[in-house]
Amino acid sequence: MQRLSTPLRRIALAAICAGAAGCASFSPDGGYAEVRQLAQQRSGGAIPSTAPGAGSVEHQVAALLAKPLSADDAVTVALLNNRGLQAGYAELGIAEADLVQAGRIANPVFSFGRLKSHEGIEIERKLMLPVIGLLTMPVTTRLERRRYEQAQLRAASEVLRTADATRRAWYGAVAAQQSAEYMEQVKNAAEASAELARRMAVAGNWSKLQHAREQAFYADSVAQLARARQTRTVEREKLTRLMGLSSPTAFTLPQRLPDLPAAPREVMDAEAQAMNNRLDMLMAQKELAGLASSLSLTRVTRFVNLLDLSYLRNTGETGERATGYEIELQIPLFDWGSTRVAKAEAMYMQAVHRAAGFAVDARSQVRESYGAYRTAYDLARHYRDEVVPLKKRIADEQLLRYNGMLISVFELLADAREQVVSVNAAIEAQRDYWIADAALQAALTGAGDSAAAATPAPRAGSAAPAQH
Amino acid sequence: MVSRRNFFTGAGAVAVSTALVSRAGAASLPEAVIMDKAATQPPLMPPNGRPYNPVVTLNGWTLPWRMKDGVKEFHLVAEPVVREIAPGMKANLWGYNGQSPGPTIEVVEGDRVRIFVTNKLPEHTSVHWHGQRLPNGMDGVTGLTQPGIDPGKTFVYEFVAKRPGTFMYHPHADEMTQMAMGMMGFWITHPKDHNFMRVDRDFCFLLNAYDIDPGSYTPKVNTMLDFNLWTFNSRAFPGIDPMVIAQNDKVRIRVGNLTMTNHPIHMHGHEFVVTGTDGGWTPPASRWPEVTTDIAVGQMRAIEFVANEPGDWAFHCHKSHHTMNAMGHDVPTLIGVDQREVLGKINKLVPGYMVMGDKGMADMGEMEMPLPDNTLPMMTGRGPFGGIGMGGMFTMMKVRKGLARGDYKDPGWYKHPPGTVAYEWKEGGIAKPEPVRAPDADRMAAKPGEKVLQVTKPGKNHAH
Ligand SMILES: [Cu+2]
Repeated sequence: MQRLSTPLRRIALAAICAGAAGCASFSPDGGYAEVRQLAQQRSGGAIPSTAPGAGSVEHQVAALLAKPLSADDAVTVALLNNRGLQAGYAELGIAEADLVQAGRIANPVFSFGRLKSHEGIEIERKLMLPVIGLLTMPVTTRLERRRYEQAQLRAASEVLRTADATRRAWYGAVAAQQSAEYMEQVKNAAEASAELARRMAVAGNWSKLQHAREQAFYADSVAQLARARQTRTVEREKLTRLMGLSSPTAFTLPQRLPDLPAAPREVMDAEAQAMNNRLDMLMAQKELAGLASSLSLTRVTRFVNLLDLSYLRNTGETGERATGYEIELQIPLFDWGSTRVAKAEAMYMQAVHRAAGFAVDARSQVRESYGAYRTAYDLARHYRDEVVPLKKRIADEQLLRYNGMLISVFELLADAREQVVSVNAAIEAQRDYWIADAALQAALTGAGDSAAAATPAPRAGSAAPAQH
Repeated sequence: MVSRRNFFTGAGAVAVSTALVSRAGAASLPEAVIMDKAATQPPLMPPNGRPYNPVVTLNGWTLPWRMKDGVKEFHLVAEPVVREIAPGMKANLWGYNGQSPGPTIEVVEGDRVRIFVTNKLPEHTSVHWHGQRLPNGMDGVTGLTQPGIDPGKTFVYEFVAKRPGTFMYHPHADEMTQMAMGMMGFWITHPKDHNFMRVDRDFCFLLNAYDIDPGSYTPKVNTMLDFNLWTFNSRAFPGIDPMVIAQNDKVRIRVGNLTMTNHPIHMHGHEFVVTGTDGGWTPPASRWPEVTTDIAVGQMRAIEFVANEPGDWAFHCHKSHHTMNAMGHDVPTLIGVDQREVLGKINKLVPGYMVMGDKGMADMGEMEMPLPDNTLPMMTGRGPFGGIGMGGMFTMMKVRKGLARGDYKDPGWYKHPPGTVAYEWKEGGIAKPEPVRAPDADRMAAKPGEKVLQVTKPGKNHAH
């Protein structure tokens, strides 16, 4: 065995060439570029160009934290700094290592023997190549490539999930901060009432009962303020964690939430977008494709095309137009023929059903979160355009009534409190809008927890105005 | 009719024939004269019929009539009107012939009177001739003595004005609503002998009350006692004209009360006697001098006096809330409550807030602050010495030397002769009297340990 036999060499060469396509060297950034691209296409904000943990991260983070943090800045900081995300990237690295490993021929073993016998010295040289490895290399490389691609998708969806969670946390934190500020005003109004009540009692104009009532309202508003401040702390800590910062004082937030957009998003083709964009759908498709190829299902009559989309634009006889989308889910059919691999068939069908199930869920989630989004938008706008201006007008009219000594300062203060509370409710509606916006984005891309969309964040606090 | 019409055209009245009335009826109906001004109109000298000395209706007017076959014919149109309660405030009321209250009807004892009443209200009405002796079927009580006058219909009342005296007219159909909306008017039956109890000036007006929420225009008809506008002839001070009187005039003032509470009407500077009540003239022997006469609900009073003291004399209801305009009745008393330290805090929440009431409520008359639409300040009106601090049922008798007989023009503020106005005491002037001690001050002083009430007295630290 001094030489490789010809057929063996041929196999080896073929295997090496076959593997050359997916071959088998480390990417310069551990696969981050593809992850970034996947996430970028699906994210509202910019995905940092630097992978987490790279040298310049601290610098970048420090620069972002130097000024009041916008929602996008918060996302960037989280993507650069979030430890959980970095752990996910590590997994991507492992998968890449496996892929590279699979594409490499195991080190050949060279052995040298020197035998001494009565006939003299016999030197035996053996070069042993990992033949089995060569034979399986095309298959394993394909499998590892798929695993690697799935790891990339997982990493990308982790990026999106983190971005989404950070964005929501940012809205929550800013809103809680604003609410706490307004609850402080409610407390101040109640404090002024209580102080006046005390003076009224001292002057002999008010009974202990009336005095106690004003004091009780003040006491309640102090408790409400404490709760609002606690909510502010909780929301801020949530954001701190997501951004991977060691201290909640490391950043400042802007004074107020971003304004509502002039018009709500129109997502006519929301379901179709979701089918094309959702990473979980992409993963399901990849799984199906992989299974099909690795199980040698070559006689595929139709390739997997999970969803066939056709745009409907019907013009009725009366001229009215119905526009909409019809999404058709096609189950690919294979001619299983005489194959005896029943298990393969079952596995494949299992993946088909899973993918179909994902599609049903995904579309439902998109519809639900779009409904929630529109409701949140309409509510926020209603608060901004109707409720708050009305309360303002009431307060203005009450001041006129106070001027005419038609009502007392206590009613004026009670009204001021009510006005503040309505502003607070408007802030919460605005926050709920932005969170619903994030949830819709998440539903469209398959990132994040779309269930969270249906559950509005806790109310930071509200106060029932005292009646006089 | 021309002269009368000319007279009233000059005074702001407009003669119209009501389009409502059917064409057949129109020819036989006297014209319905409409008044579009709330100012006091000059007395209507009777152009025909028996002579009499006409009255002056405070912020009102007298309804012209026509004589037809010896009958005095009037035409009242019941209709929604806009009445200026005072400059700066108008009310959606119901009234007669353009105003609320309606025009005064003046007739002479023994006159046969025919009154056409056209209803332009959205619901049926009737007219009750309060205090009159008349046939039962002319008494104007819907359901009891007649059917209601449906919208668009005209009814005719006819009777002889038997008893001279002071009367009123008002609906007796859904009267709670219709009177709360201002449906009422004055009626005077002059004595046949126009020299009987003759006076130089004869004023008349009704007392009425409305509850119009600040910022609104229409009275709340379900209010029973907590009214916020107390008025003479649906006018509140400073919208009430003064009663202009020549010095030494014999003056009669007739007041009718169609509110839901009594009003002690009080006159400054003179004593008067009540010469007439709901029932007619009082016997001279029964009259006693007074400066205040209480006019109960549904009553009329005629008071008389000689106005021999020149000046600007207050004339008002003595219920102090009735000389106020719209106010909050649930506003707590702030007297003695120093708000300055809290002011900043309140201002942060309510920009534009000002401290009021800590020294009393006179601030209200002095400050001019924006109020709700169509709302009169609670106290208002300025005199030559500053804010008068009154609203509601308040006016003045302006007694002046040398006014001509028919001159009712406001003569302006009284010019006091030197030394006849209260003045500030100053050091070096008249000696300040020694303080007087109560004879038993020592006995009354608080014993050690006894609880003493603290009274807030304005001191140096309290000056604003
Ligand atoms: Cu009164």
